[in-house]
Amino acid sequence: MEITLKNVKKRYHQKTVLDIPDFHFFPGKIYGIIGPNGAGKSTLLKVIARLEELSEGEIFYQQQPFRKEILKTMTYLTQKPFLFSASVVENISYPLKFRKYKRDEIRFLVEKIISEFGIEHLAHQLATKLSGGEAQRVALARALIFKPQILLLDEPTSNMDPNSIEIIEKIILKYNHKKDKTILFITHNVAQAKRICDEVIYLENGIIVESGKAKDVIASPKSENLRRFLSLEYYVN
Amino acid sequence: MRYILEGIIYAIKLLLSFDPEIYEIIGLSMYVSFASTLISSFLGIPLGFLLGLKHFKGRKIFARLLNTAMSLPPVVVGLVVALILSRRGPLGQLQLIFTPAAMIIAQTCLVLPIVMGVIFNSSRDKGTEVEKMCLTLGANKLDTLLVLVKELRANILVAITSGFGRAISEVGAVMIVGGNIKNHTRVMTTFIAMNHSMGNYYISIAMGLVLLGISFIVNAILYGRITGTGD
Repeated sequence: MEITLKNVKKRYHQKTVLDIPDFHFFPGKIYGIIGPNGAGKSTLLKVIARLEELSEGEIFYQQQPFRKEILKTMTYLTQKPFLFSASVVENISYPLKFRKYKRDEIRFLVEKIISEFGIEHLAHQLATKLSGGEAQRVALARALIFKPQILLLDEPTSNMDPNSIEIIEKIILKYNHKKDKTILFITHNVAQAKRICDEVIYLENGIIVESGKAKDVIASPKSENLRRFLSLEYYVN
Repeated sequence: MRYILEGIIYAIKLLLSFDPEIYEIIGLSMYVSFASTLISSFLGIPLGFLLGLKHFKGRKIFARLLNTAMSLPPVVVGLVVALILSRRGPLGQLQLIFTPAAMIIAQTCLVLPIVMGVIFNSSRDKGTEVEKMCLTLGANKLDTLLVLVKELRANILVAITSGFGRAISEVGAVMIVGGNIKNHTRVMTTFIAMNHSMGNYYISIAMGLVLLGISFIVNAILYGRITGTGD
């Protein structure tokens, strides 16, 4: 689903934290959103997910203004996912219950995704007792079970071990194999952005400073700010 | 020390004596406490959710007032209810003063802020997070409410058991509005207070133990029912 941002502004207490005059996110692509802390990355995802109200402007979904039905076709995942105080199976089945799937269908789809994600051993555990990496995998399974057209991922692999990162990345790439989903992926890891993203957007102070093909933007940044950000990022990692 | 032990033995004897008056007192205590807890829960749980999830002007002041109301002095509540229900009071014609109904009203005034306060505070703290998560998973308002109730079931349990605890252990308000009339408005707490003032310590201890036992059993049942664990 195409997402179009028109004169989008978000202010907190008179301070503008997001200011995007015109931008399009196209289906079939994974967009990596990079930038320093406080750049407005999470705010961008939250306004698209309708978790935050816009101060100005409008967001169009498939060239249409926002309608409530859009909420059924997208999902937002944070770095610290909120899992309900229920079993893993129950957590994953919630989105299907919300969409009034039949009990047999729910059981079939949940079993299928649990097997795809390799979390059979966690199926009947209390979700709130899982480790960070396990919880993230469960949250991602829950987010993907209803096949959202728009997937908004806010640092889904931060604080994870390399093994878990690899699993999550593979799942995301596999999810987009038909090239029909719009995926926005916030990451602080430039190497990761290069690995899995088609496009990269560099945000600073709520403004898109630079955007384009991931490999191009990262290999030859045009702006001084992005150059500095990348050199610091390489230094840290 | 000896009279405490004798009190415990007396308590067992008292219960095994099947004295109708004792069982009537226990029955009335249970009836009044359950009724006031039930009314408070029906009103307080939805109201607590509604106000906890709504962002309205003066919410902070409301929260402070509600927290204050959670520790209302029972004697003051009893006095106010008695003044309203007394023959010369605004609701005097209902002739409720010195009846179990008056005791239920007084206890509801004490229990309602507790139930509402616990639910208000917990839904305010956790509710937004649950609401947002439900939104990202495509839930409608009813779905969200059902998930929220499920998520906060432990808090609902705390609200109900705290409310019941307040009701069953309350003495000041029921004494004022009920009058501790034998075979009519005498409950366990007023019975204990009266016997203690008369020097009948054995009976007071006996009834105190019964009161403790009932509180324990009710809490255990409620916890088992709501959490489904019975732990």
